Amino acid sequence: MSKLYGYAGRILRINLERREVKFEEVTKELAAGYIGGRGFNIRKLYDEVPPEVHPLSPDNKLMISTGPIAGTGFPLGARVNVSGKSPLTGILGDSNAGGHFGAEMKYAGFDQIILEGKSRKPIYLYITEKSVEFRDAEGIWGKTVSKALDEIIREIGDHRVQVGIVGPASENGVLFGGVFFNRVRPAARTGMGTLMASKNVKAVAVRGDGYVEVADQNKFEKIVDEIEKEVFSHEQFWPRRIMGTTRILLAGNRIGMLPAYHFSRGEVDFAYDVSGEKLAVKHNVKVRGCFSCVVPCSRVYVYHKDGEIVVNEGLEYEALAGMTVRIGNRDLEKALAAVDLLNELGMDVITTSEVISWAMELYERGLISLADTDGLRLNWGNMEAVIELIKQIAKKDGFGKLLSEGVVKAAEKLRKGMELAFHVKRLEMIQADPRALKGYGLGFAVASRGADHLRSEPFIELSDDPKIGMEMFGEPEATIRLGIRGKGRLVAYYENICALVDSLEVCKNLAENMNILNYEKISELFTAVTGISLSPREIEETGERIVNLERAYLVREGIRRKDDSLPSRFLKEPMKVGKSKGQVIELERMLDEYYAARNWDVNTGIPRESTLLRLGLADVVEDLKRRKIELFS
Amino acid sequence: MGLRLEVDFSKCSGCKYCELWCSFKHEGFFSSTFSRIKIIKDDLREIDFPLICQNCEDAPCSKSCPTKALYFDEKEKKVKLDEFLCIGCGSCIDACPYGYLSMNPLKLKPLLCDLCGGQPECVKRCPTGALFLTSRDQQIEKPQKHELGKDYATALAAGLRLRSKWGIRDV
Repeated sequence: MSKLYGYAGRILRINLERREVKFEEVTKELAAGYIGGRGFNIRKLYDEVPPEVHPLSPDNKLMISTGPIAGTGFPLGARVNVSGKSPLTGILGDSNAGGHFGAEMKYAGFDQIILEGKSRKPIYLYITEKSVEFRDAEGIWGKTVSKALDEIIREIGDHRVQVGIVGPASENGVLFGGVFFNRVRPAARTGMGTLMASKNVKAVAVRGDGYVEVADQNKFEKIVDEIEKEVFSHEQFWPRRIMGTTRILLAGNRIGMLPAYHFSRGEVDFAYDVSGEKLAVKHNVKVRGCFSCVVPCSRVYVYHKDGEIVVNEGLEYEALAGMTVRIGNRDLEKALAAVDLLNELGMDVITTSEVISWAMELYERGLISLADTDGLRLNWGNMEAVIELIKQIAKKDGFGKLLSEGVVKAAEKLRKGMELAFHVKRLEMIQADPRALKGYGLGFAVASRGADHLRSEPFIELSDDPKIGMEMFGEPEATIRLGIRGKGRLVAYYENICALVDSLEVCKNLAENMNILNYEKISELFTAVTGISLSPREIEETGERIVNLERAYLVREGIRRKDDSLPSRFLKEPMKVGKSKGQVIELERMLDEYYAARNWDVNTGIPRESTLLRLGLADVVEDLKRRKIELFS
Repeated sequence: MGLRLEVDFSKCSGCKYCELWCSFKHEGFFSSTFSRIKIIKDDLREIDFPLICQNCEDAPCSKSCPTKALYFDEKEKKVKLDEFLCIGCGSCIDACPYGYLSMNPLKLKPLLCDLCGGQPECVKRCPTGALFLTSRDQQIEKPQKHELGKDYATALAAGLRLRSKWGIRDV
């Protein structure tokens, strides 16, 4: 076989029960067909984790995978995907994070790490080019993310080691724990930390001295030069560098898309007080970046907590909005303290913000009382109660116990508030109101991991420029925020790009928000790095293949068109205030158009046999038929 | 007085972009390990510190070198390496008070910054302007040895000073 450039070339398979380690080769077929990251993970998950497997059983697997670009000097390109069957949603669990882990893993010689079985005792893994060590983690089990991280680094005695770690919430069985890289960069969605902890693994540490070669050095350097130029001259460069995604809060307020007071208002009068702008002016002291990033969008901030000065890093829009407007909190410093606490305990801030704001809405409406909440006064913006509740959730204690399994199970157990439980496929809603962003709304409804914007992220919709819509999708409304027509094609296009981007492990700041990567660019880049020549058309098909394989995985788990839905508030209740006043989202029409664009069956939402065959997924067709799932040609 | 690479580490984002392109320009592949500039990071204290050759005038590396492959060039005020004379014994690496020098594991020669002939790739690629060329000559203070290594101790000492400017008292 000719050499595969870009890749480390090996998959590391670790059986935790037998403490066995196996190495597998990354074949050219796998590389060309699925690229890396999310693509590698879904291929292995489809093959190895069938519907019979319970998410918290030892038979479930945890996969950490990076892409061919990680470790090279391509800007914004060293992320990782963490996948498995989700303990929270019961379907596809998949979460993506930045940081330095992906590159270090590559230098250690691995493109993918697969954890199987369950360790008998709490351990952490220390992986280098030379060995895989199963190290005792009894002493750090139960410790917070930064305390445990500190001890692991000191025990290994190497400051360059990169660690993905879970917090006490995951260990206690809270269903939305994340795997935290570089302390504040979690792969937090869908409970991948909970899955890792269920295997008795506290952390995965990697360290490598290897290197990554690209196939065509001159071409690669030229591509990077061009990308750099485009990034540095992009209008979003400085705002993103200064504020990261927190810039969205104030911008979102202007178009009325904020999830304020649990999605009951799209805009608030105190947006500036809790905005990224305010954060930048008052608290930020320094920028920090992920590996190989030229738009370092993470910031170190300093604030006061109980008379002490605290320094911490990060905070994206999702966390900022989740701990401010969504729960009616006007105090920025208290929000920072809440987010820091969530990071230390190792929980997903988006899901947490939903369960808390859901409980608050029920409390404010009088649907639950102090008797239900164990005495917590859950009025909007009561941060003392929120901090207490976060601690309770992590410990599965008091009222927090009810919320620790996600909003759907909480509503089921409480037998109240199901219509106010804002989720899609059991994954809690992110911080944007789909009534104000129709394409995003469609994306949430069809996203393969549930309510999620990062599967499609049609940022171009915010341009409100009909010319772009006409040029790209033959439909002016496609790039109008409140338009309906053309959104099916828009979402399908960006889903393919996102699947490619998550598989190359490039950051969506570059690909989606700056809109710098298209099929042509990805094709050029992939060929220059790996030496595998894929045309733009083939690259598009690769993205489509990954999306279809994920859909087939969901279909096998029982997901159909009826599950591609949105919470009823967004479909029925017009927005009351703001720039999107009066809007609801007309989902069904957009869904019809989306299935047509995907060539999936419009009634069931199952990919057609011809579509799967065209994408080279004959084995999937066979598998689905064997399981008596009807496919339309 | 020659050119000198300088850092303003309060601007460094820790992205290691400089490391990657340094390694690429010198070795033809991407790697942190093969870089002639080292970014020392501490995520618990938010420290990012580009460690470069301090070009010590007393050059402890050169004093320890049995073949005089490493020497301090008086004219350029810079430590230089004569690869032909180097036998790869590694004594310079132990001698460097900052933990800056490390061994190229393939060629068994120390990885020493050569300023890319006056146009350093790291300066060209640094996205935040933390790296720049100057003719000033200023040395960072020599740190104490520490459990995670001299390079880490160097970064930590500098990082803690920056944090105290932000009002953080570390114990």
